[in-house]
Parts: sequence; structure tokens; C-alpha cells
Amino acid sequence: MAARLELRDVGVRFGTFDAVDGVSLKVHAGEVVGLIGPNGAGKTVTFNVVTGLQPATRGAVLLDGVDVTRAPAHARTGMGLARTFQVVQLFAGMTVLENLMVAAHRFTSAGVVTDALRLPGRRRALAAARERASAVLAFLGLQHLSDVEVSSLPVGQARLVELARALCLKPKVLLLDEPASGLDPAETADFVALLAEVRATLGCAMLLVEHDMGVVMPLCDHLVVMNFGRVLASGRPADVRDDPEVKTAYLGTPA
Amino acid sequence: MRLYIALALGGLPIGAMYALQALGIVIVYKTSRVFNFATGAIGLACAYNASSLVDHGVPIVPAIAVAVALGVLIGILMELTVRPVRGTLTRTIVTLGWLLLLQGVVGVIYSSQVGTNEPARLLQPDPFISLGVLQYSQDQAAVIGIAIALSVGLAVFFRVTALGTATRAVSEAPDAAKLLGIRVDRVNLVAWGIGGGISGLSGVLITPLLNKLDTTTLVIFTVQALAAALVGRLSSLPLTLAGGILLGVVQPVVFRFVSTSFPSVRGTDELTALVVVLVALLLFRRGGRRDAVSGGLEPVPIRPLPTGRVAIASTVGVLLAGLVLPLVMDDVGNTSRSNITQTAVWGMAVLSLVLLVGVVGQVSVCQAVFMACGAFGTGIAMLHGVPFLLAIFLGALLAAAVATLVGLPAIRLEPLELAIATLSLAFTADRFLYSWVPFASPDSNRPVPRPGFASLDPGHAAAGERNYAWLVVGLFLLTAFDVASLRRGRTGAALTALRSSEPATAAMGFSVTSVKLRGFAASGFIAGLAGGLYAGLLQGASGAPFDFTRSITLLAYAVIVGVASVPGAIVGGFIVTLSTLTIGGTAEVASGRSASTVTLLTGALLIGILVVAQDGLFGLLSRVFRFRRPQREPVAVTA
Repeated sequence: MAARLELRDVGVRFGTFDAVDGVSLKVHAGEVVGLIGPNGAGKTVTFNVVTGLQPATRGAVLLDGVDVTRAPAHARTGMGLARTFQVVQLFAGMTVLENLMVAAHRFTSAGVVTDALRLPGRRRALAAARERASAVLAFLGLQHLSDVEVSSLPVGQARLVELARALCLKPKVLLLDEPASGLDPAETADFVALLAEVRATLGCAMLLVEHDMGVVMPLCDHLVVMNFGRVLASGRPADVRDDPEVKTAYLGTPA
Repeated sequence: MRLYIALALGGLPIGAMYALQALGIVIVYKTSRVFNFATGAIGLACAYNASSLVDHGVPIVPAIAVAVALGVLIGILMELTVRPVRGTLTRTIVTLGWLLLLQGVVGVIYSSQVGTNEPARLLQPDPFISLGVLQYSQDQAAVIGIAIALSVGLAVFFRVTALGTATRAVSEAPDAAKLLGIRVDRVNLVAWGIGGGISGLSGVLITPLLNKLDTTTLVIFTVQALAAALVGRLSSLPLTLAGGILLGVVQPVVFRFVSTSFPSVRGTDELTALVVVLVALLLFRRGGRRDAVSGGLEPVPIRPLPTGRVAIASTVGVLLAGLVLPLVMDDVGNTSRSNITQTAVWGMAVLSLVLLVGVVGQVSVCQAVFMACGAFGTGIAMLHGVPFLLAIFLGALLAAAVATLVGLPAIRLEPLELAIATLSLAFTADRFLYSWVPFASPDSNRPVPRPGFASLDPGHAAAGERNYAWLVVGLFLLTAFDVASLRRGRTGAALTALRSSEPATAAMGFSVTSVKLRGFAASGFIAGLAGGLYAGLLQGASGAPFDFTRSITLLAYAVIVGVASVPGAIVGGFIVTLSTLTIGGTAEVASGRSASTVTLLTGALLIGILVVAQDGLFGLLSRVFRFRRPQREPVAVTA
């Protein structure tokens, strides 16, 4: 069976600099893969290649065995990819529910004319989106935030809302870009527990870029370590952690 | 070949004039990152000033000195009004206010002399240099010389002096510059002063070469100045000079080329400039760094529609009292009925901008061009036997298509750049589109009869007028309702999301391109509908009501009433109608004093409202009266 998400020999070159150089990895159904590495290792660029924000210079990105290397970001969403952002990007000026409804509208269809003329399709679309958004809020236990304007949320809650928004897309693969950045240890622990629950309940595969070992170790089935744009090590978390090369990359050469 | 070389060389003095005007733009932009759209208008004010001083017996040299000093003063005043406004795009809209204000002031003060004025001449148009058939007169040579001297001199000045270094620091990182002890405000003030002086000088020097002094030519020249400034990448003074001269040299060649094949085509100069503007803007994208500072109509608050019964009731009340009630009453005369129709038409036009600026988050300074597309489209369709109402619909579709085309570059451009492109389009439409034969008609007025709504029998004229008023008012109410519905529907959600974060919107599965273009199309459709209905009101379509001033004032009214306000649109409509009433009946471009007064007031109001409340009158009122739920405070959104 084809992997949910697969990168084949992906490379990104800025001028003469290889930001990403021949990265291959697979995320199977239900699997959680962590992409780790020191600053400047090329994690974020790799992540952007997967989401479609950064075109790859070479290699291929496959979703369920389908080549999406040339597909724009929004088309990948349609094929089951959802993401969160390193710096939370909620839609300001909207409530939490309205933010989620934007995502839930992926499953509705109402065009400009339907909306403007209040044809029956408009009410159906809004009702369906609201229903989906409320269901996800209830699943994550966030109903009480429903009508709060997102700009007034603290970072911890904003991250939860962003996760909820991504889940509205019914993703097959969930991409998380440093989900724990900006969270304190207690919030981080809660977030990890929640992600574990999401995985257990919804069974979606995840790829997460993260610095915090406290997030990576308990959550991931598989780790990919990057350094200088290449894959340095890949394997089960415990094995990767004990790999001497990984230790060197993170901590420097032992004196 | 010899002919083309001669033609090209003949364009040299004109090119130098463009460069002079462009220098005024570049110097201000270099420092403050604000695009001074009022350059031509400053030149206009100073040219009139110099000319009238000479008329009163002042010798030419002191007269020019006074005029340039006036330019410096205007520049300084502009900086003072721009300073309290936040966001470079909003600041740039303030300069549009100044454009209107200055054009209006000139019209009011010199209205008795408009058209008859002789430009102040420093030098006579006597032959100076002869190159075979080609001769440069003294004043032409002087303009070329001054343009070269100024651009080189200022370039050296900015490179060598401490002020020049400070200027660069201020433009790159104003806050860091402030921390280093640079007095940012003073540096800006100096740059605006110099910029204003150069704009003024350019006006004084250009007018003798044009051999005429009127209130529009110099302002339309702005499009060529924009082109030259963009070729100079808005920073290099020598490149700006080169850009201006290049444009001046190319234009006569293009003109010759086009006029031999299509003798009826006019406005090729502006068309050439427009092409240069668009090419320069799109090339910028590739090579230049993405300028984070230049983007964004920030902080335009996204306000929800008024919610709650009180607000809805008051909105409905305004609509009923303003439009429907006067129609129901039978004793209104024909004139006031046509005024009601006009109010609804212009309200619809403002509404199209409320949609574009308030919801899509893009600024268009060519909304009147979309209206003209609707008007002419209606006329053309009726010429082919299409019934009136269907013709209006087709005209609106044409406008939607044109708006989509205009929106295409908006996917690549920053909002400020789009404003530049659309303003250039508005200028170009004035000179080119409205006299282009397949589009406009040879006598520049396409008949738009409205069977069913106007009887030729004088006895039934009133009934026709009333029916038409009902039609337009009905369509306006429907459109207002539609915009509100659109905003709160699926597309509206995507559009609002887009203004907050494009990557996040794409991550939700919406194509950024398609969402933006749908917004443009919808806005263009509404503007086109308004244009078609206006043509129906006048029973003819011509370019005059849709000139560049109209485009600017429509934007001005949308900003004044508040770009996020649907009921505000009707107030905007009232203002336009009121302004046309003082001119006398229709919105023909009058050069009379009253028209100038209206332009002046509009400009002053725009500047004033942006300084006081960037969310417009309705935003101001709602804060005063606390119409809305307190938790929904305006949210600053960076584009």
C-alpha cells in the first residue's frame, strides 16, 4: 500500500545553496512522524515543500501515491492535507466558530451568485459548515470559545483553535509546524495529550516539525533527523536519540 | 528610419518634463514610502500661481521663485497631514485628497481665467539649437538642462550629505533611525518640501512648452510621471531621468506607428505610459525585494455589519426615508425624481467600492472606468437590438470581465502597486478609451434609449421617469442586500480570511487567485450595472461623467463614509448627487467655480477624515454612539 505521504529525493536550491538536499521520507496511515534537527537544518523548507508554499527544485511529493509536486497549496488541501502554522495564523476579525467555518466550507459549494442572491444553496452551505465546525469544537472541548473573537485569545488557546480549524478539513495527513512553540511546559503536555487523542480517535497520519523533545518522544512512531539539508538519521525515536551522529549534530563534538 | 529618429529626438523635451515631474514623486517615496499622486496637481497650482503673478506685473524670475516656494509649502503641509495617518497605502490615499483639493483650489481661484491663461514664460520659444530639420527652442533646451542638472545634483546630494544618509536610513527602517537619534519627522518634512518644490517647478516649466494652462492636462501628466518614476525603481534619480526621456522618445514613435494604421485612435501617449507602468510593476516583482512596508491598507478595521434590531431598523430607515418615500409621494417633480435615480446610481457605484475595498481589501482608483464599460456596453448591445434591461445586464458583464482583467495583476502586486496601476488606467481611459471608436461612438455619445421607461409623448414623460426611478432604486436596494449577503456567505468568509492571511486561506483549500478575482468581478459587475443605469438616466453614454476625477472622488466618498459600511454607500450616493446638483443637473465635467468647489471640499473632507478616523464617518459615528457590541472592536489587519 502506498504511503499517505511520501517525499522522494526532494531538493531545494537557493542560488548555489542547497537548503534541502535529497530528502526522502514516508508517512504511513495512522503513523506520526517527527522531523527534527538543529536550526537551519532545512526542516521548515521541507515542510513548505510538502504544503506547496515552496516549489521543489528536484524530487517528488506524493499523496496516497499521487504525484502532487506541481499542485498548488489549495489543491493539496483538497487531497487531504491540512496544516497549522509556526506563528499562529488565525483569521483576525472573526470568531472562533467563523474561523472553523472557513475550513469547513471545503465541503460546501456556494458561489458568488448563490451567496449574493441568497439562493437556497447559501443557507445549506452555511448550515453544513456551522454544523461541521461545531462538531469539531465539541470534540476538542472548545465549545465555550465558539463566539470569542480570535485576536483576544492567548497563544495556548489560539494553537488549539488552529488545530481545530485544521481538523475541520477532515485531513488524511495533518502537518504541524512547531505546535509547541510559545507554550509553557504545562500547556505543552496538554497539547501532546490532545494530539495523542486526536490520533487515537481520528486515526489521521501526522508529520510534525518540532524542537521540543518532550513533544517528539512520546508522540512519534518514527523520527527523521535533518542536518545541513540532508537526512542524518531515521528510525524509531529511542534509536535515533542514542545515535552518536545525532548527538554530535545537536550538542557539538564532545570535548 | 530617418523620420523615426527625428520623431524620437523631438520627444526629448517632453521626456525631460516627465522626468521632472517624476523626480518629485521619487524624492518623497525614497524617504517616506508614500506615493505622491498629487505631483501633477502641485505643478498645476504653482503654474497658475506664476502665471497670475506675471499677469499682475511681477517680473518673471521672482514670480517663479514665489511659485516654487509655494510648492515647498504645499509639500510641507502634505507631510503634516500624512504624518498622523497609519499605513503607506492609506497615506497615499491622503495624497489623492490633496490632488482633488489642489485641483479644486486652482479652479476656484482662477476660474474666471481658466482656459484663457497664458503660461508664465521664463524663456521664449525661439530657436536655440538646430540639428538639421530638428530645432530645440530656448525653453525646451532649458527644461532638458534643468531636468539633467536636478536629477544629477540631487543624486549627489543624497549620496554625499548627512541629510541624504539620514533619508536612506529613514526609508529603510524608520524606527531604528529614530533610535539612532535621527529626527525622522524633520527628515520627512525636508524630503516632502524638496519634493513639493520640484513638483511646483516642473509645473511652471512644463506649461510654456504645452502652450496652454488648464486644470486637467498637468494632472493627467501624472501617468507619464508614474511611468518614469517606476522605471527609476522609485529610488534612482538618474534612472528616473532616463525613464522619463525614454518615454518621451518612444511616445512619438508609437503615435506615428499607430496613427498610420488606425488614424482614429487617440491617447496613444497615455496608452504607452500605461504599458510602461504595468511592465515596470510586474518586472519589479521578480527582481526587487518584496517591500513589506509598501503593502496593506492598514489598519482598516473589518467591521461586522451592524447587528441588532436598532441598527437594522436605522439602516432600513435611512434607505426608506432617502429613496423610497420621496418616490411614493406623488408631488415630486421630474427633476427630483431624476435626482433620486442619480442618488441610487452613485450609491451603487460607491457600493461596488465598499465591496472591493472593504471586503476584498484592494484599492481601485478606476471604478468610473468600470462604470463606463457598463454604460458603453449597454449602448453597444442596444445598437444590436438587445432589449434595454438585457443590455444593461450585458454591459455589467462586460464591466465584470474588465474588472477581472484589472484584478489579474493584483494577484502579483501589492495593494499600493495596484492603486498605481488603476490610477494610470483611469488617466488613460480619459484620453484613449472614451474616444476609441469601436467602444465609444464617433460623436462620443452613444444613444441609450429606454423603452418602457420614457415615453416620447410629453404627457407620459413623468410616468416614464417615475418607473425608471423605481427600477433603479429597486436595483440599488437589491444590490445593497446582495453585498451584505455576499459578505456574510461562503465567499465573504474566504475573502475576509484572505485579508488576514493568504497562506492560511490557501491551506483551507481556497485558491487565493480565484477568490480575489471573484471579488473583482463582483465589484466590476456592480459598477457596470451602475454605469448602464446612469446611461439609461441620461439616455446616452459618454465618457465625460466617468473621467479620472470621478474615479478618484468615488474612492474618496467610499473612504469618507467608511469602506466597510453598506448603508454608508447610500450616503456616498447622496454626496455625489448633491455635488452634481450644484454643478447643474448632470455630472458633466464642468470647469465652473461650483464644480471646483465640490472637488475642493471632497479633497479636504477626504484628508480630514483620514486624519481623524480611518474607518470613515460611519466608523466614527458608531464609536460615538456605540452601536455595536463592545467585544467586536476594530481589528487591525495587516495585508
